[in-house]
Amino acid sequence: MTLLPLLLAAGLSEGDRELAERLQRREPEALAELYDRYGRLAYALIYRIVRDTGAAEDLVQETFLRVWNRAQGFDAGKGSLGPWLLAVARNRAIDYLRSTSGRLRNALELEETEHPSHFLDLEKQILNSDMVRRVKGAFARLSENQRAVIELAYFEGLSQTEMAERMGQPLGTVKTWVRTALQILRDELGAAVSA
Amino acid sequence: MSCDELRDGYELYALGVLEDPERSELREHLGRGCEVCVAGVKRAREAMAVLAETVPPVAPPPRLRRRILASVGVERSRWWVTPMWVGISLSCLVAAFYYAGREHSLGIQMARVQTQSRQLLEEAARLNEALALLNQPETKQVTFGEGAPKPPRGRVFVNPRQGVLLLASNLPPAPPGKIYEMWIIPKGGNPVPAGLFQSDAEGAAMHLRRGPVDVAATGAVAVTLEAEGGAPQPTSTPLIVAAL
Repeated sequence: MTLLPLLLAAGLSEGDRELAERLQRREPEALAELYDRYGRLAYALIYRIVRDTGAAEDLVQETFLRVWNRAQGFDAGKGSLGPWLLAVARNRAIDYLRSTSGRLRNALELEETEHPSHFLDLEKQILNSDMVRRVKGAFARLSENQRAVIELAYFEGLSQTEMAERMGQPLGTVKTWVRTALQILRDELGAAVSA
Repeated sequence: MSCDELRDGYELYALGVLEDPERSELREHLGRGCEVCVAGVKRAREAMAVLAETVPPVAPPPRLRRRILASVGVERSRWWVTPMWVGISLSCLVAAFYYAGREHSLGIQMARVQTQSRQLLEEAARLNEALALLNQPETKQVTFGEGAPKPPRGRVFVNPRQGVLLLASNLPPAPPGKIYEMWIIPKGGNPVPAGLFQSDAEGAAMHLRRGPVDVAATGAVAVTLEAEGGAPQPTSTPLIVAAL
């Protein structure tokens, strides 16, 4: 993975405050700046989920317009724009996956996870390269099944019950994989935050 | 449920995939401001935000930026490169030849129209490529000729993936038998040919050398006047030197 997107994102959170304020004033150039900061990450994430370039373009546009239209609800002094925008991007993509596969179970719950107020007081350097390197390292240490369940939750929005059905495994086994995988990631992220 | 029992559900809740009864219980804890669960879900959101960075990089097409910005009125499409205007131009050409070319054979008229249409389409494609390079955030820009007693002046744009774009003004058309040649000069190395171009009657030139460029290893971009057909190494004093 090239470090360019990470380097672009690293250290950008400090400028997020001013950018968020400009978005709230609905300065169209602020949207251009937002796209230049996070457009590549958002596109890569959405494409990883939907695997279709045309749909990915539509969903990236939808993501940025959604952030543009909801910026008023964002606390520029406390929030982190990047994580919020990426949550919106992921949710748009999973919503699309669900709609194309007839899975509409908890679209409203996805909406709830992208509320701007949830991204207050997050670690300002959350998207820095050291954290990403650590989490990628932790990912590499996961077993195949542990990695699979995290990817099913993150990239496909599956619950543990749905994962068990998809993988043809008992729910208890899937829960064990999820619990162990999350503990490994949690430990690594905790080390990164306190480092 | 206790906070300890809910702990394993923080990340799944942050992802919107936690199921009942844990989901309802956790909501209840968050709703009454349970400090342990609020902090736990916040950490989980951070962890999940980092997961987005583990995806393989895929570059969005340059048109996507324009499309998004156009939707809020930042950048309108460039009228001279849109397919609509190419189509209108072609229609005008066809009409002009139809009404004015009775003394010529239909074959000659069609050949001219085809040539004109090909040139228009090539120009539109070239301009679109140039705009795509300009729109990339990682594109580096340097100016040349500023403050110089004699023109030309202009800018060089270098994009590590897409290439080098030269925009020059006050560059008189190369005389017959001569042509301009662009060079990419590595730091401590010999100039590498980067294509031939001509300027127009008004002294404006745009030249694009497509392909990846090692920006950090490049010292300068230069232009010399060479014999038609170009040269493997510069044979004259550079007219343009843009130091990176």
